[in-house]
Amino acid sequence: MKITYLFIIFIIIAIAQIFVPIQMTMDNEDVIDSGVAYKFKTRPIDPTDPFRGKYITLRYEINHFNTSDTTYVVGEEIYVYIRNDNKGFAEVHNVSKEPLDVKEDYVKTRVTYYYKGKVSFQLPFNTFYMEETKAYDAEMAYNRANRDSLPNNIYALVYIKEDSAVLKDVYIDDVPIQEFVDTYKN
Amino acid sequence: MNSKFNKELQELVRNQVISSEIADRISQYYDTKNVSKPNQLFTIFGVFGALLVGSGIILMLAHNWDDFSKITKTILAFIPLLIGQCFVGFSILKNKSKTWKESSGTFLFFAVGTSISLVSQIYNISGDLGAFLQVWIALCLPLVYVLRSHAVALLVVLFSTYYALEVGVWEYRSDKTPWMYLVFVLAIVPHYWLQLKNNTSSNATSIFNWAIPISIATSLVTFISKDEELGFVMYITLFGLFYTIGRLTVFNKIRILKNGYLILGSLGTIILLMIFTFRWPWKELFNTWDYNSQEFYITIALGGIAIGGIGYAIVKQGVRAISLFQLTFLIFWILFFGLSQIESLPMILTNLLIFVLGIVMIRNGVNTFNFSILNYGLLIISILIICRFFDTNMSFVMRGILFVMVGIGFFLTNYRMLKKQQKKESNQQKIIS
Repeated sequence: MKITYLFIIFIIIAIAQIFVPIQMTMDNEDVIDSGVAYKFKTRPIDPTDPFRGKYITLRYEINHFNTSDTTYVVGEEIYVYIRNDNKGFAEVHNVSKEPLDVKEDYVKTRVTYYYKGKVSFQLPFNTFYMEETKAYDAEMAYNRANRDSLPNNIYALVYIKEDSAVLKDVYIDDVPIQEFVDTYKN
Repeated sequence: MNSKFNKELQELVRNQVISSEIADRISQYYDTKNVSKPNQLFTIFGVFGALLVGSGIILMLAHNWDDFSKITKTILAFIPLLIGQCFVGFSILKNKSKTWKESSGTFLFFAVGTSISLVSQIYNISGDLGAFLQVWIALCLPLVYVLRSHAVALLVVLFSTYYALEVGVWEYRSDKTPWMYLVFVLAIVPHYWLQLKNNTSSNATSIFNWAIPISIATSLVTFISKDEELGFVMYITLFGLFYTIGRLTVFNKIRILKNGYLILGSLGTIILLMIFTFRWPWKELFNTWDYNSQEFYITIALGGIAIGGIGYAIVKQGVRAISLFQLTFLIFWILFFGLSQIESLPMILTNLLIFVLGIVMIRNGVNTFNFSILNYGLLIISILIICRFFDTNMSFVMRGILFVMVGIGFFLTNYRMLKKQQKKESNQQKIIS
C-alpha cells in the first residue's frame, strides 16, 4: 500500500519534470510562430557555461537611451520599447519604468548604469548557443566580417511577443552564423 | 574483517587474555556485523557511476550538435529524463535495494538538468543560471523523500549552495537575495533529522553534519545586501547557533570530528572575534547601520533560533550544560549594538572575552583529559597574544620573552596533564589488580 502511494507521488513528480521542459518548448515556439521579428545589430564574443556548453555572447548596439527622467537606479526593471528604423533594424524609441498603454513591442530588462540622463541596459537575449568547436571560430569570423567594414553586416534575429523574446539566429552578411563559420573554416 | 584485528585477537589468545573460544565468538560477531558492508560499497559505486554517466550526458549534449534538427534535439532532451524516470519508477514499484534507489535518483537528478538545459540551448534562453538552477533543484527535491536518497539530498544541498552564490554573489550587477535557498535547505531538514535520530553515527549522517553547516555558512554571505557591517554580526550569530546545535544531546554519542556544527561554530566564533580584538574594525567599520534592514532581521531571526536552542538545552540539561561559547554571540551583540560608539571599551572587552574563552577551553580539556581541547584553548590564547603584537609598541625583547613564556606554558600544561593522566591510569590499574 505504502509503495503504491509512493509510486503515485513519484508519477506526479515525473509529470512535473516532463511538464517544465515541454512548457518551455511550447512558450518559445509560440513566440517564434506569432511574435514579431526584429533585427538587432550586434557583435559576438565567446564565453562558456558549465552546464549548457559553448555559446557566444552578443553585445548589442542598442544598449542605452537618453531620457529626461532622472530617477533611474541601477538594477531597476525597465521596459524598452522597440520599433524598426528605415533600414529595417530595431531601434529604441522609448524607455519606461512601467508598461505603457500602447500597442508596441517591448523588451523587459534592467538598468545597468545611469549617468546624466543616459539609461544604459543590456538586452536579455544575449546568449546564442553554438557547437563547441564553432564558438571561437564565430568570434574570429565576426572579426573578419567586421574588417570588411560593410554596414549592418551582423545582426541577431529576435522574435518578440508580449513579455517573451526568442533569439532565433545570428546572421553575418545575411548568412546564418553556423553556415558562415563553416565557409570561413573551409 | 581486517587482518590487523585478527592479529590482535591471536595475540590476546597467545597471551591468555581471552580464550580461543571467546576469540572465535568475537570474530563471528564482527563477521555477521560486516555482512551489510559490501552493500554499502555497492551503493557508493552505484552513485558514483550514476554521477559520472549523468554528468557525461550533460557534457555530451553541451557540445550543441549543430547537425541535429530542432526536433531531434528536443527528443534528445527528453530521452535521458524518461530513462531516469523509468529506473526510479522501477526502484519504487519493486521496492529495490538502497543501491538501486540511490543510483537511479542520482541519474534522474542529472537527467532533469540535462533536459532543461537542452531546451534552453535550442531556444537560446539567456544566461540566467540562477533561475535555471532553481527550477532544477525544485523539480528534484521531492525525490529525496520518495526514494529516501542521501545522494539526492546531498546533491540538493550542493546545488542549492551553488544557486545561492550564483544569485547573490556571482550574477552580474545582482541585487537579488536567494530566498529560495532557505526553502531548499528547510525542505531537506526532515530527511536529515530522521537520519540523525535513527543512524546518528553512520557515515552518511557525518557527511550531512558537515555539508549542511558548510553550505549555510557559505550561503549566508549572499543574504548581505547593503549593510555589510551587520554581516559580521550575522556570521557571529550563525556560529553561535551552530555551536548550540552541535551541543544538542543527539550529538553526544558521536566523535567531535564528526560534529561539523561544533567545530565550525567554535572556529568561526574565535576567528571573527579575533578580528574585533583589533582597534581598526571598531574605528572604521561601525559608523552607521540600519535597524530596518534585511541584515538586521536575519540577525534577529538567527539569534532567536539560537536563544531558543539555548533555552531548550537549559530545560533539558540544566544551566550548567551551557557553555560560554553558546552565549558569545549575545555578548557580541551588546558590544556591537550598545558600545560600538566608544572605540576602546568594546575592543578591550573582546580581548577579555577571547581570553576567557581560551581559559574555559583549557579547563574543559583538563577536566575531560582531552589533549585536543586543551591545546585548542592554548592556541586561542597564543593567537590572541600574537595578534596584540601587531598593534602595540612593545620592544622586541619584551615580545621575545612573551613568546618564550607562551611556549613554556604550552609545554608545562601538556606535561602536567600527561602526568595527571598517567597517575590516574596507574591508580585504575591498582584498583583492578
